Amino acid sequence: MAKLTLTVNGRPWSGDVPEETSLLEVLREHLMLSGTKYGCGEGQCGSCTVLIDGRASRACVTPASRAREVVTIEGLASDGQLHPVQRAFIEAQAFQCGFCTPGMVMGATALLARTPSPTDADIRTALDGHLCRCGTYPRIIAAVRAASTTMTRERRRG
Amino acid sequence: MADDRRTAYKRRFDGDLEPESYEIVDILDTLTPDRRAFLATLGGGLLFLVTVRAQDRDLPVRVQVTDDGTYRAFTGKMDMGQGSRTLLTQAFAEELGVPVERVTLVMGDTRLCPDDGGTWASITTPQTVPVIRKAAAAVRAARTGGTDALTAPAAWTTLGRSIPNTTSLAIVTGAKTYPSDLRLPGMLHASLVRSPHHRAQLVAYDAAAVERIPGVRVLRDADLLAVVAADPGTARRAASLVTATWTPAPLRPQNEWPARFKATAVAPVEQPTARYPPLLRRGDVEAGLAGAARRLSSTYWVPPIAHVPMEPRAAVADWRDDAVTVYGGSQAPFLVRQEVAQALQVPEARVRIIASDSGGGFGGKQRGECEVEAARLSRLAGAPVRVAWTREEELTCSYTRPAGLVDVESGVDADGRLTALRFANYNSGAAGLAPQYDVPHQWVGHYRATAEVRQGSYRSLAAVANNFALESHMDEWAAALQIDPVAFRLRHITDARLRQVVEQTAARFGWGATPVGQGRGVGISCNLEKDARLALCVEVAVRGTDVRVVRMVATGDFGAALNPDALLNQMTGAIIQGMGGALWEHVDFDTTAQTTRRLSRYRLPRFRDVPAMDVQLIDRRDVDAAGAGESPITLTAPALAAAVFSATGRRRRSLPLLPLRDAAP
Ligand code: FES
Ligand code: FES
Repeated sequence: MAKLTLTVNGRPWSGDVPEETSLLEVLREHLMLSGTKYGCGEGQCGSCTVLIDGRASRACVTPASRAREVVTIEGLASDGQLHPVQRAFIEAQAFQCGFCTPGMVMGATALLARTPSPTDADIRTALDGHLCRCGTYPRIIAAVRAASTTMTRERRRG
Repeated sequence: MADDRRTAYKRRFDGDLEPESYEIVDILDTLTPDRRAFLATLGGGLLFLVTVRAQDRDLPVRVQVTDDGTYRAFTGKMDMGQGSRTLLTQAFAEELGVPVERVTLVMGDTRLCPDDGGTWASITTPQTVPVIRKAAAAVRAARTGGTDALTAPAAWTTLGRSIPNTTSLAIVTGAKTYPSDLRLPGMLHASLVRSPHHRAQLVAYDAAAVERIPGVRVLRDADLLAVVAADPGTARRAASLVTATWTPAPLRPQNEWPARFKATAVAPVEQPTARYPPLLRRGDVEAGLAGAARRLSSTYWVPPIAHVPMEPRAAVADWRDDAVTVYGGSQAPFLVRQEVAQALQVPEARVRIIASDSGGGFGGKQRGECEVEAARLSRLAGAPVRVAWTREEELTCSYTRPAGLVDVESGVDADGRLTALRFANYNSGAAGLAPQYDVPHQWVGHYRATAEVRQGSYRSLAAVANNFALESHMDEWAAALQIDPVAFRLRHITDARLRQVVEQTAARFGWGATPVGQGRGVGISCNLEKDARLALCVEVAVRGTDVRVVRMVATGDFGAALNPDALLNQMTGAIIQGMGGALWEHVDFDTTAQTTRRLSRYRLPRFRDVPAMDVQLIDRRDVDAAGAGESPITLTAPALAAAVFSATGRRRRSLPLLPLRDAAP
């Protein structure tokens, strides 16, 4: 067992977990945050993507002991307001089963924080590690583009 | 469970349904124990049990008017991402005469929902929607005293509109609960000790190293060997310390499969009323071939492939008081109830399955392997047990799409019209056998064969293999006769709607205006499958042994588009999913085991692969709606194979197409 201290969605958490436990397992089994999904456990699908210190990371291959500041899909909306990326995914209906969506939204959020006006090529490259078996890729690209436009406009308005 | 029981179950729901009459029962009627249990679970309000009679079958529908005036509607159908939850909510809301927000759909709970068949073969739209509409109109009439007539398409306010997925908010916030998200108090996590082989018997095991770990238990029931613990990591680590000896069943090398299929083939007989008639005959194919001016024969091959839903299956079972409740995510909860009852040797009445919307199915989640494992382990453990398959288990413990061999022989007359077609599919299946072309002499059949590996349902079933073979063959003829492939197809298409779909697709694509050769190529495919008319044009760029798909233009006519945006989403997704099977996917086995065991070794379509896409619908309000979840996947492989030929002059008759090699098999 190892003592673990993390901040998840702005709230501190600490507990004892077996050594080597992945961040994904801590989120899903200890914090009961099930929005972050397991799809492969080997960094291949992006379903488990969260933000660690602002960077999109694969929680399934990240030892929990290496994470400090974590934001999950549950922590993205603020004050009851959906994040623009979440709104854009709904607007574009950029999902079918929706299982890949939390990871996609987190990946897209990280991209837009770094590159506010990405080209389609930027979006494809940034999200290429995310699989959508339902094949909604074109809509996801459209949603990220739309979110970028909204966020740029909202920033201008301040 | 025995395959014949599955077949018998599916047959009950075969065929398109035209509701003829209905019977409506209010709740004060004879209260059977079943209904009493149902009511007790539901709480107050008014409950309507409607039996819709269609053809020779009675189909049950249940609608509850709750105390706050909203509706709860119950169906045994499931949503694995094809949008059936939203579509069926629309169907209820339209005929109840209320907005979709007032209708909540309860799906997949075998205690609450009526048994209206599983979710497969795109039957939800053509079968379930008409039945639900009829029942909802009856409830509306009973409530208002008005007419029970269906709303005419011209007057639709909910159907025919692009209603967003009713779970959208839950999806984007991570709040949607999938089967793998379910937890029960006091639940144990199981980790299974699996044999590395495809099939094997457990001979012996040694769990001494594990039994000392506090909180860990080893459970065994016949070949089922598992470790349970309070958290999944502990269970997994403990399971890895168990050593087991297995006797594997041998597998033939994969290159012997085609010969094996032929050696074990059972010739088809005509069964015109079957869902997928295994033999279609017209004219006299021998005479037709004998009299042809030119003949052509070719053989096509599709390998086994995996479904790879993004969510590996998971189930939680709670065995108590000689009964079991299993929470899972199967496409067919009532079939799973049978399977669990059989495995535990208890009556079905003691098994309740509660299935939630799951993270993809594609035909792969029709069986209850995971639910059965959880139920057996829960009984052994005396506590709720969760079984969540790893990706490796999802790849290796499920079943694959059947491999298939297709022999095609055909002849044309002096004017270059197809006059005879002999088309024999071995092993992959009878779905999609009927050619979309008018050929006077035909023998089109499916030979059942013996496969050593588990195989089963898949999005569109054998229609992928059959359309790959037929469309590739058409393309070969066009090349042999030096006729444009679009013109050659149109020559043999009598269905006016299919003609229009092909013509529109070719026109939007700029067929004939796109330069080909020197690594650039174009291809077309079309299909008339499950009442849908479909066409796809593709452009590819070939570099070395690799292919990049540059653009795709597709058109679908599914009759009335009940939810146009959802239809487009399904159609686009199916075409993209088809790229995987066309270009990269294959599951490999050695002499005892499946060797394709990880996602990193199984190439799927990714962002980088997706071309520019123009997908459009032809919406015919006046025509019955066809299901759309599956059939567009049949377009991708033949169009890409044709485009590779157009670019390189090399014909690939075997999937996957990549990497390109010189010799075609
Ligand atoms: S579950 Fe982490 S990348 Fe697939
Ligand atoms: S929406 Fe199903 S995997 Fe992306």
